[in-house]
Amino acid sequence: MKKKNKVAAVTNWPLTILLIVGCITVIFPLYMAIVIAFKKPSEMTNDIAGALSLPKTWSLENFAEAMRVTDFWHSLGYSVLITVVTVVLAILIHSLAGYAIGRSMANSKFYKVSYLYIVSGMFVPFAILMMPLVKQTAQMGVDNWFGVILCYLVFYMPMNIMLYSGYLKNIPIALEEAAFVDGATTWSTYWKVIFPIMKPMHATVAVLTALGTWNDVMTPLVIMSGTGANTLPLAQLTFQTQFGTNYNLAFASYLLALLPILVFYLVCQKQIINGVVNGAVK
Amino acid sequence: MNKKLSRNQTFLLITIPVLALFFCFNTLPLIKGLMYSFTNFRGFGSYEWVGMRNYADLFTDARVGKSYLFTFKFALLATVVTNVIALLIALGLNGKIRAKSALRGVYFIPRILGGLVVGYIFGYIFTYILPAITGGSSMLSNTGTAWIAIVIVAAWQSIAQTTLIYISGLQTVPEDVYEAGAIDGATGWKSFKNLTFPLIIPFFSINMVLSMKDFLMVFDQIMALTKGGPAQSTESISFLIYNNGMGGGQFGFQSANAVIFFIVIVTISVLQLNITGKKEEQL
Amino acid sequence: MKRRVIATVLVAAMLIGTMLSATGCSSEPNDGKTHITMLQYKPEAVKAFEKMEEEFNATHDDIVLKIESPNDAMTVLKTRFIKEDAPDIIGIGGDVNFSNFVDADMLMDISDFEGLSLVKQAYKDIDKNLEFVPREGVYAVPYVANAAGILYNRDMFEKNGWKIPTTWDEFTSLCETIKSSGQQPLYFGYKDVWTCLAPWNALACDLAPADVCRQVNKGETKFADEYGEVAEKMLELLQYAQDDPFAYNYNDACTAFANGEAAMYPIGSYAVPQIQSVNPDMNIDSFVMPGCDNAEDNVLNSGVDLQFCVTKDCPSKEAAYEVLSFMLEDSTIQTYLDDQNAVPCKDKEFKLSSALDGMLDYINAGKMTDYQDHYYPSEMAVDAQIQTFLLDGSVEKFLNKFDTDWLRYNRDIIRKVQEYEKNGGNK
Repeated sequence: MKKKNKVAAVTNWPLTILLIVGCITVIFPLYMAIVIAFKKPSEMTNDIAGALSLPKTWSLENFAEAMRVTDFWHSLGYSVLITVVTVVLAILIHSLAGYAIGRSMANSKFYKVSYLYIVSGMFVPFAILMMPLVKQTAQMGVDNWFGVILCYLVFYMPMNIMLYSGYLKNIPIALEEAAFVDGATTWSTYWKVIFPIMKPMHATVAVLTALGTWNDVMTPLVIMSGTGANTLPLAQLTFQTQFGTNYNLAFASYLLALLPILVFYLVCQKQIINGVVNGAVK
Repeated sequence: MNKKLSRNQTFLLITIPVLALFFCFNTLPLIKGLMYSFTNFRGFGSYEWVGMRNYADLFTDARVGKSYLFTFKFALLATVVTNVIALLIALGLNGKIRAKSALRGVYFIPRILGGLVVGYIFGYIFTYILPAITGGSSMLSNTGTAWIAIVIVAAWQSIAQTTLIYISGLQTVPEDVYEAGAIDGATGWKSFKNLTFPLIIPFFSINMVLSMKDFLMVFDQIMALTKGGPAQSTESISFLIYNNGMGGGQFGFQSANAVIFFIVIVTISVLQLNITGKKEEQL
Repeated sequence: MKRRVIATVLVAAMLIGTMLSATGCSSEPNDGKTHITMLQYKPEAVKAFEKMEEEFNATHDDIVLKIESPNDAMTVLKTRFIKEDAPDIIGIGGDVNFSNFVDADMLMDISDFEGLSLVKQAYKDIDKNLEFVPREGVYAVPYVANAAGILYNRDMFEKNGWKIPTTWDEFTSLCETIKSSGQQPLYFGYKDVWTCLAPWNALACDLAPADVCRQVNKGETKFADEYGEVAEKMLELLQYAQDDPFAYNYNDACTAFANGEAAMYPIGSYAVPQIQSVNPDMNIDSFVMPGCDNAEDNVLNSGVDLQFCVTKDCPSKEAAYEVLSFMLEDSTIQTYLDDQNAVPCKDKEFKLSSALDGMLDYINAGKMTDYQDHYYPSEMAVDAQIQTFLLDGSVEKFLNKFDTDWLRYNRDIIRKVQEYEKNGGNK
């Protein structure tokens, strides 16, 4: 541990500066988004100076209006509900499946085929699944937020199983064998030894799955239609109608929707790094 | 022996329900979609069976052929650009730098911005800002350059996710590997090539497959930037499947398109996984 | 410890879920009343529809009306059909989707609805023509229409003393005058392919037969013979456009026109709210596209923007008719007009937006033709083909492709039309 701190103390300044300069590619568009979110439609122009200039007044009116139009707290509730449940279940189920399949793939045809079967499911264009899924969820009585979660668990399964089994390749099997010698079952070894070691991967899976579900429009649109419930991206469709788009309100709303997921990412990011130290020390 | 058996049983008990769930919400609807590809179904109402007509049409449709060319050209370039830049950023962000968290946060933002925001802002940059700087015309209105503009924006957005996966891959490289390498005098490029890269090959192959898949299925960026134009030069396969299948009345025909497309990508990805898988085993 | 945390999170989430669902939608109550659900596709008009819903329910004891205005309503509607959970009444546009719904047998014949007699004949004809194969019965009540032509900046015209052109020659010489005065005559948003259809439709109303698509389906003519002049004039318009019109989208064009960067903007009345959001004080008026050499021959391009259809399986036709009658009451239409910029289809005088002043005579005389693209299958992407043609400039190549593509995309419909003709057709 001590040695690590000493190494970290030597900052690579040229690299830091290079990375900060690279940030411009993100900061510049983000600046435009923020400025537009504060402007009025009448301040929108078609020239560079007009687009980059600061708004006349820094009023939060657009944000308040955007929250009202999208029924913000209610939509946020559904978005959070769907995302949180999906992420928790994905971590539990996909990591287990990734473990079972990943550990057995090398010497069992059944698991090798299962792996390829699930991974290839990733390439099915959603458009072809959409209509049958709508009908199926309606028949099963889950044409609501719960059905959306079930769909997500299946949609993200290929990617997450790939990630988990990829991560396990670098985790020596000796770690488990030590536990077996002590007489533990595979099940309890998994929860006591493997699950905690995969913490960085849990964080990665959490971020990727959360992002996909948080921003997705199509699945809730088709599955939850007619229930009167909206997720945030669904509610945000309001800003785009056939013949007109209110960019100012839309941008305010998108910035609001961006914050929760950015915070979530930053929290998970810490886990990815910290997890390593724990994992590597063992 | 007894223990070994129970390990297998545990694995089966885990795998079978997962496979069942997957079958139910992925394969089953796919089979129903496959059925529609033999009809002239519009997505609603009555329909007729048309046999193999949709498939026969598919191979004679110039627009579909053009969309395959565009999609593959696009996906190839975008995958390379994204993976090279993302790997560089990941190595950088994993280095000994200041403001690590803030920098990681900033580089992740593109992935979170919605399509409407990205479309508007980059539309603005390409239409007004870049021409003013270069003195040329908009990249988006020229059939020769529009696809490059889409590559830029698509890469800009997906670098975030690719970087994240590389970063978590780099975490599996134990610190002592570097230290051992440093003793042998391996630094910089040499250390990366001989020490780091072989260890993150599983993540390299995951990223190749994931970004290839994302780019082959490109849809959002096209809707946001060009809507298939100019002169239908940026119509991707997903664009046709979605717009003409769901939006238009070609549900049956586009289902056939989706089936063929699915088979094509699965073939490519299995090949890709096999190649990188062999590499992993060699090391 | 960890497992307890996870379990708590899950339980909490489920609780929130049930709470949200409870406040979200309540299942249909068994109160002995007839429940009518309407789904309409204009989310921008949600306020007007909420008001109508409220008024209807306040005045009707036996019927409960629920109006849904979802985003991306056409997708939602299609999923509702798949789920066999169709709304009783749908409010959609008079376009190719409607033709498909009629053809797929999804709508109810409402020819015995008395309110139909209140609607202008021109709009009923427009709806009738949208059926691929003419069918017995009536399937829609036209509610409001929009119109397309050329929007112009009234202040710029007055200041410079420009006159409203009524023939193609007058129009091109006006454009020349504006151009030579150093100002911009026209602005286009051709980056958004659908905007290519605005001048296309307006010119086609003047220069091609209104039922050209049906004639082609019957095998009586070819587009190459009918659309030649339309295509030529589309190319001619480009001379008066801003530089590189394919670099700018609809929104750019609206903003530019609102800021006085161009004198005219060939688009429909539907663009007025977007323009006014940028410049609320702008003085906009419109005129009919002067595509013909003879002013008398020009026709206004107008189509049904919103119409109501009753779905085939609606169990309570009487109640649905009651709702439709309510929608056609003057005060209800006024509620809609107060909120949205539109032309009512009811045969009665309403106060219209001043942006339509220049089209009023045509509207009142019923001298109008539907948008041609309402007959085009959307998967054929005629809008994108027009953009391709404008970039390429070859009329012949474009129209030949139009003809071959048309046959391919409309194969099933053409077969039906020709069967229909063979069996006696329309006499």
